[in-house]
Amino acid sequence: MSIRVQPDLRNELIKYGIGDWNACYHCGTCTAMCPLSEEGFLFPRKKIRLMQMGLKGPIESSVEPWLCYYCGDCTKTCPRDANPGELMMSLRRYLTSLYDWTGLSKKFYTSETWELGFILFFASLVVITFLFILPSFGIKFDTTLTAQGGVRVNSFAPIGIIEPFDWSMAFVVASLLISNIFRMYYKIIWKNSTTKVSLWVHIREFWLLIFNFAVQPKFSKCDDKKYWLSHWFLMSGYTIMFIVIVVFLKWFQTEEILPFYDPQRLLGYYATFGLLFGLGFAIIGRIIHKDIKFKFSHVSDWLFLAMLTGTVVTGILIHIFRINGMPMATYFSYIAHMAILVPMILIEVPFSKWSHLAYRPFAAYFHQLKKHAVPK
Amino acid sequence: MKNTEQTGVFLYKHPELIPDPLDYNELYSYLKGVANVSNIWSYNDFPWNEENIIKKIETHNLNRLIIAGMMAGTVKTLFSKVMAMTGKDPDNVTIVSFNDYGLSLTNDMDRAKALLACAVSDIPFEIVAIADDSPVNPATLVIGGGIAGIQASLEIANGNSLVYLVEKTGTIGGKMATFDKTFPTLDCAACILTPKMVEVNQNPNIRLMSYCEVIEVNGTPGNFNVVVRQKARKVNVATCIGCGTCAEKCPAQAPSEFDAGTTMRKAIYIPFPQAVPNKYLIDAESCIYIKNGKCKACVKACPVPDCINLDEQDQDITINVGNIIVATGYKPFEASRMEQFGYGKFKNVLNSLEFERLLNASGPTGGNIQYRSQDKKGNWIFNNESGKPEKIAIIHCVGSRDKNYNKYCSRVCCMYSLKFSHLVLEKLPEAEVFEYFIDMRAFGKGYEEFYERIKEEGVSMIRGKTAKVEEKGGKLLLRGEDILQGTLIANYVDMVVLSIGLEPGEDNLKLSKMLGIPVTECGWFEEANYNVDPTGTFRGGISMAGACQGPKDIPDSVAQGSAAAARVIQSILRGKVSNGLSTISLSAVESRIKELTLIQ
Repeated sequence: MSIRVQPDLRNELIKYGIGDWNACYHCGTCTAMCPLSEEGFLFPRKKIRLMQMGLKGPIESSVEPWLCYYCGDCTKTCPRDANPGELMMSLRRYLTSLYDWTGLSKKFYTSETWELGFILFFASLVVITFLFILPSFGIKFDTTLTAQGGVRVNSFAPIGIIEPFDWSMAFVVASLLISNIFRMYYKIIWKNSTTKVSLWVHIREFWLLIFNFAVQPKFSKCDDKKYWLSHWFLMSGYTIMFIVIVVFLKWFQTEEILPFYDPQRLLGYYATFGLLFGLGFAIIGRIIHKDIKFKFSHVSDWLFLAMLTGTVVTGILIHIFRINGMPMATYFSYIAHMAILVPMILIEVPFSKWSHLAYRPFAAYFHQLKKHAVPK
Repeated sequence: MKNTEQTGVFLYKHPELIPDPLDYNELYSYLKGVANVSNIWSYNDFPWNEENIIKKIETHNLNRLIIAGMMAGTVKTLFSKVMAMTGKDPDNVTIVSFNDYGLSLTNDMDRAKALLACAVSDIPFEIVAIADDSPVNPATLVIGGGIAGIQASLEIANGNSLVYLVEKTGTIGGKMATFDKTFPTLDCAACILTPKMVEVNQNPNIRLMSYCEVIEVNGTPGNFNVVVRQKARKVNVATCIGCGTCAEKCPAQAPSEFDAGTTMRKAIYIPFPQAVPNKYLIDAESCIYIKNGKCKACVKACPVPDCINLDEQDQDITINVGNIIVATGYKPFEASRMEQFGYGKFKNVLNSLEFERLLNASGPTGGNIQYRSQDKKGNWIFNNESGKPEKIAIIHCVGSRDKNYNKYCSRVCCMYSLKFSHLVLEKLPEAEVFEYFIDMRAFGKGYEEFYERIKEEGVSMIRGKTAKVEEKGGKLLLRGEDILQGTLIANYVDMVVLSIGLEPGEDNLKLSKMLGIPVTECGWFEEANYNVDPTGTFRGGISMAGACQGPKDIPDSVAQGSAAAARVIQSILRGKVSNGLSTISLSAVESRIKELTLIQ
């Protein structure tokens, strides 16, 4: 079997992150330091070697980058300042762009113009829809209040319109993600010509997907648990929000002001807290610049944090303005909320940083499949 | 005369060198005014990529480039490549690397200018820089009584010249005296060294000044006035008979420096039985009388009247010498700085100097490899009652080749680690020994053969430095990646030896200022020329030898000791000593350049 070598692989990879990876002299400290590296799935050093040799094929088919949760221990102890932790991060960005068949992911990661252009395009589309298109269909900025003194938000953004829109957006994003996951599966498991995995193993190990999605057990094995905890709050908050917005919008977006202890409000408050906690941890970390995990920030990292924060803040504003009976403020917060949310979902989830919500659990699943692979 | 119109000068500032001691604006105006160069780019316009250089070459029609700055050599390939790309001669790139001429001291602007003037006129600095001579005092000062200093002293003294050998500790011998065997010949270190030490003591031309420190150096090359502080030894060297009755009675204890802290010694002590001079001294820090004013047990026990004087004070002695040889050696890396290896936390993690003593037949256990244990007073020491380890791991490159600590290779650790493996197997044939290494640097004569021999002896060589040492169930757990096998290994061992690297001596900076010789960015003394004058310095009359110039093994240190002695003997025979590069003035260089260009 011949192996194709791509000598400029490093020049391509360096667009996805920062690191003097050629400095590595292969002492193995990083692999030995890593609590997640295990027999048969050794990283980061082996990945650095592949990168140095320009072996795109083996990199493409490796699952290891997704098994790393970037605690930064490897970078901290690296005797050559070769930054192995950031290489793993860059590989995840690179792999995301390889899984994506549309080619947009690569554009977003390597060109800020493309990414910002897309965001602005969708944001203005949302604004135009609310300001001009919907009013032309007779939907008005209703300034009268409900009997409780709340804003009539459903007359401004009727669930009958928003909900189908949510579903169609979810459909587009999901089909992109699922097709990319099939490509990921093809590259990691299917393409491997020397081993095969039985159907039974596929079925038996499937529970890992859900388990990994829900609690990220691998992440919790990193020596520093605070990253896992803050990520878990962020993840759980976001998942709850996503479910209530897409699936239970009818129940969540009400005009009636429910008592404080109502599950609808409690769930919303928990999700907001989880999101703010996780976001605050990451943003402060990236500003202070002290933890290795947050030391090197790619544009995509900041953009993701900024958009998610924008979404959360405008969401909080909608809530406050609505229950205090401030119609115009509510409506403009709603428009801003959607103008940030829509491009964020459309860009981040299938093409950028957020796609890890699918790739990570699937990688944990594929990792298990690879372990049970038998020679052909 | 070179056409300066087609010459482009780029002032380079190395991005990692902070602070840079040079004033680049001053160099810029010097080039503009005196050297008559019109195409100069200061460091903030430095072209970092090919495109910018090509643009500059083409717009100004340059056919000769000069890159001047600290460590300017790092960008030479880039410029040569661009010259070739634009169809010009890639050899027409001149590098003026200031630090190669010892410009790490701040007052060297004149030398920087002189170097630039030479580069612009395309005349080698070495041709115009000829220093004047001064008459020389035939006496020599050697600072440091390790193997390099001993060798240099003996060479000079055997040539019938006077040598003052100043040693900081109570005995000469240095680090080599603590070693058991030398590599790769496995000779007994003490059997080679102690006769030399005795020879130093007996040579009438050597004034041995032990327990002394150089505190001031004045004067000029050929005629230095050196103030040496004789630290209060509190024991009269002339009358002490070395009987040891005092130490028997002394109630105070301290860890033995010579045994690398693996045993306890008394406050009045002799560093080791073969010490030269073989006389006792008192360590003021642990002596009870000096701390509390009560005790005097040693004075009562001493059979020689007035030999011990506990109230003795430090004394300054001035000596006149013509030449100085610096041979101050190195400082071992402090292993506890690398917390991941658990030195100082786990009792059976040893540094290499401790292990060296443990292996030594004259060491704390008489050469038996034993666990570390606690004595009655709670001190961690080695004795013969605590049992033998069965598995020993040796970790290479501790504190070396690591940007977080020292980025250089310490040169000796690979070889001494191999020697350890051999000695362990010699003493404990049943033991398992593991060497965790990154690259095996067996570079010298007979070294590679030694490595092959050790491998055949059954030592497990693991390519891949382990990341951390943990204690689990009374054993030490090493987790590492075996790079050649591509596997992870978790290894439980009984004892871990850390092959610590070499660091510049702690007094190097002080000496550097005192003697006016620069140190490199790592802290080693800077030689006048790495290739052809490795023992010379930029200052006339000052040479150096051994590990103070850079990490070095014993044969190299001895060779440098002789080489430095040759420089000194040469000046004594000539009766004159060169004043050194540091005395050459800018105007002298400029006028020499003028003369030479006229001849051309």
